[in-house]
Amino acid sequence: MFLKQNHLGYRLFAVLVLCSVGLFWWRDHAALGGVRAFATDVTGSLYQIAGTPARLWDGLGEFWVSRTALQEQVRRLEQENLVIKGQTQRLAAIMAENARYRALLNSAALVANEVMVAEIIGVTPDPSRHILMLDKGRSDGVTAGLPILGADGLMGQVIAVGENHSQALLITDLTHAVPIQINRNGVRGIAEGAGDLNTLIVRHIAATTDIKVGDLLVTSGLARRFPQGYPVAKVISVELAPGEAFATVHAAPLAALDKGKHVLVAGSDKPSLVVDTAQ
Amino acid sequence: MIAQPANGRWVIWLTLLGAVVLHLVPLSENLRWWRPDFPLLVLFYWVLALPYRIGVFSAALVGAVVGLLEGGPPSAVALGAVAATVIILITYQRLRLFTPLQQSIMMALLLAFAYVLERWLEGFVGVAQSDIRFLFPAVTSAFCWPLVRGLLRGLRRYYEVT
Repeated sequence: MFLKQNHLGYRLFAVLVLCSVGLFWWRDHAALGGVRAFATDVTGSLYQIAGTPARLWDGLGEFWVSRTALQEQVRRLEQENLVIKGQTQRLAAIMAENARYRALLNSAALVANEVMVAEIIGVTPDPSRHILMLDKGRSDGVTAGLPILGADGLMGQVIAVGENHSQALLITDLTHAVPIQINRNGVRGIAEGAGDLNTLIVRHIAATTDIKVGDLLVTSGLARRFPQGYPVAKVISVELAPGEAFATVHAAPLAALDKGKHVLVAGSDKPSLVVDTAQ
Repeated sequence: MIAQPANGRWVIWLTLLGAVVLHLVPLSENLRWWRPDFPLLVLFYWVLALPYRIGVFSAALVGAVVGLLEGGPPSAVALGAVAATVIILITYQRLRLFTPLQQSIMMALLLAFAYVLERWLEGFVGVAQSDIRFLFPAVTSAFCWPLVRGLLRGLRRYYEVT
C-alpha cells in the first residue's frame, strides 16, 4: 500500500512535468512541428470516423434521388453557371482596367489568387471555440495562415496542417482578429471575434470616425495575413457613449459560418480547382 | 493486487476510443453546450474500477487527445483530467461504496473541477472565454453516469477485464 502511494507520487510528478512543458511549448516550438502535424492527421481521421454514419446517410439519400429531380438540378446549375461565367467575363476586363489604374497610381497590382475547395469534415466539440476540420492538408498545398473563404466572404484562416487534414480558425473565435477597412471610405480598423457566430467587434474606432450601420468591411491587407479586398462583415450597430473616446461597433460576418459543407482555401500552391481571374 | 496479470486491456482502450468518437458527433448550436463528456466519464469509470491499471498517464493521454480534438491546448485538458484522476485514485475505496446518486454528484463535481482547472490553464497561456456555460456538461454527464457505469460494468465482467 505504501509502495503504491509512492508510485503514484513519482508518476504524478512525471505527468505534471510533461504537461507543463507541453503547455508552453506545444503551440509554437519548432521541434514539435512534426508531432503537431501528426496530431492533426490523427484528429482528422477521428473526425472522419465520427462523420461516417452521417456521410452514409447522405449517400443513401443521394442514391435514391429521382431522375427528374437530378435533371432539374442539372438545368438549374447550368443556368447558374452561365450567369456566373458571363459575370466573370466582365470581371476579367475590369481587373485589367483596375491593374492599369493601379499602375497609374504607382501601386502594385493585386495578386490574383488561386483557390481550392475543401470539405468540412467536422466542427470542434467545444462550443466556446470556433474551429473547423478540413479534408485538405500539406499534400494538397495547404499551409498554415492561408485564408478560408465562404461563398459570401472571409471565414477564417488555417491554423494547423497535417499531411491530409487541416484545422481552420473562424473569424468569430475569441482568439481571432482580422485587419479591416471600411469599403466606402477606406477607414482602417481591427475586427475581433467575440465567441459568437453572428458578431464581430470592431476595435478602436474613434468616436468621430465616419462609420455607419450597413457599411461593408473588407480585409485591408495589413499584417500580411489576409490579401486585400475580401468582404468580411457588415456593420450592424454603432453606439456612441458620451465621454468615451471610442465608439462601440458591432458587425455581422457575411459568410455563413455555421452552414454549408465546403470552403475555399485561397492562395494555395497546388490548387485542385484553379480559378484564374486575371486572364 | 499489484501482481495480478492484466487481462482484456483492449476493452478499456476500445471503450475510450468509442467515447472519444462519440464526443465528435455533430450537435446543433444550442445542444452543443450540454454535450455529455463521455471520454472523461469512461476514463473515470476505469480509474474507479481498476485503479492499479488506469492511472495518471492514461488520464493525461485521454485528456491530450480530447484537447487536440477540441483544438485547445492539449496539456490544459490533460492536466484537468489528471487532477480529477488523482482525486479518484486517493478516494476510490470510498467512492465505490457511494449510492448511485452520490456517485453521480461526485462525478459532476470532479468534472467541474477538471473544467475549472482547464479554463484557468487556458487563460494562463492564451485567452479563455468567461462564460459560465462551460460547466453545463458536468451536469448532463452526471445524468449519464449511471448508464455509463452500468454498461462498462457489464463489459468489464463479461470480458473479465482486470
